[in-house]
Amino acid sequence: MSSAHRVDLNPCFVLHQRPWRESSLIVEVFSAHSGRLGLVARGARRPASPLRGLLQPFVPLLVSWLDRAELGTLSGAEPDGPVLPLTGKALAGGLYLNELLMRLTHRHDPHPELLEDYRRAILGLHGGEGMEPVLRVFEKRLLSAIGYGLLLDREGGSDRPLRADRSYRYLPEFGPVEGGEVEAAGVDVSGATLLALAEERLESPEELSEAKRLMRYLLEGLLGPRPLGTRMLFRTQSRR
Amino acid sequence: MPDSPLINRLVGALRCLPGVGPKSAQRMALHVLERDREGGRRLGETLVEAVQRIANCERCRDLSEHPLCSRCADRSRDPGQLCVVETPGDVLAIDRGAGYRGYFFVLLGRLSPLDGIGPEHLGLDTLEARLRENEVRELILATGSTVEGQATAHYIAEMAEELDVRVTRIAQGVPLGGELEFVDTPTLAHAFSGRRELG
Repeated sequence: MSSAHRVDLNPCFVLHQRPWRESSLIVEVFSAHSGRLGLVARGARRPASPLRGLLQPFVPLLVSWLDRAELGTLSGAEPDGPVLPLTGKALAGGLYLNELLMRLTHRHDPHPELLEDYRRAILGLHGGEGMEPVLRVFEKRLLSAIGYGLLLDREGGSDRPLRADRSYRYLPEFGPVEGGEVEAAGVDVSGATLLALAEERLESPEELSEAKRLMRYLLEGLLGPRPLGTRMLFRTQSRR
Repeated sequence: MPDSPLINRLVGALRCLPGVGPKSAQRMALHVLERDREGGRRLGETLVEAVQRIANCERCRDLSEHPLCSRCADRSRDPGQLCVVETPGDVLAIDRGAGYRGYFFVLLGRLSPLDGIGPEHLGLDTLEARLRENEVRELILATGSTVEGQATAHYIAEMAEELDVRVTRIAQGVPLGGELEFVDTPTLAHAFSGRRELG
């Protein structure tokens, strides 16, 4: 019995790559077929290899591979539509998305809808849309894909719809609650921000900064004590 | 496997070199022992001495056996230009072929947030101090055209702009003698987005 099977020309993005042996790479891809997975790309670091330029992050690809339990073997890759290079701040934003996917999704756990969300986010970053709303929407969709979706239309544990003019405290894995005693956990956030996040229409500076704080809090709960490496690319930007 | 622990140790030690697998390591070991013991002794002594005495230049971080490497000590270079590269190999490549007469700064790596390699690993504080000397008019970013190389360039560019130093980035795109048809799509996309006025 063979445990390996072929996957042909599946939509993918490369999240990360690292050298393997003398001339090969291990690329971590996010695929439509099986979510995140590691593939060995033989000879991809040879100077003449056509894979060298191709197996870069943010390049929409169609990838073929031999699927195995741990590392698969890449058998081919071709571009899937135009390449939209990210530069400067947008590049830092893209690397942040990649790190989130690396840290929060499991290998061989397919999320085809999340791949499309990722593609839209990359397009948004390339198009110079405001970076913050693009990142928040992707974070929201990522959380929902991995089973930690936000409750954004009614209060946690009740049917009371959220109101834009009220303020809430968002409790992880429970949802927003209005007023009451001050809880140790959670983040204060306005109804307007929660509704804007639900409609993916974050616009005002207050909404953006509240949403950022909320997402950061929720993500940190899932990421554990090791901080995100890509944050350093932003930290200096905010400091400078 | 030869019947000698010492030979096996030698074979194992040779495998620390890039491109040397068990088979070539064994061939090298046997060659030295059978045919060129003098060469082997020289190699061993030189290796030990090199590893002991070669460190990093205080000014540019390139490999050097003196506190100041020969390039940094060369007064005929243009102090107004500073070129940032990832590796000592990049210094050699640029010095050999690019007609560049300024100074270098070697990062000995590149920012790779996903691997936990941050600014503190690349001597960026040394670079910042260098820029604060106010001698550099142009900072040339010659990091690789990988995503990490670009992120590194962007990071350093922001630092330099803060210090009012002009920043340039080496061009990226179609190799000389390259037919467009055979250039990979991402490279072509970069070449296109980096197009410039002719003449």
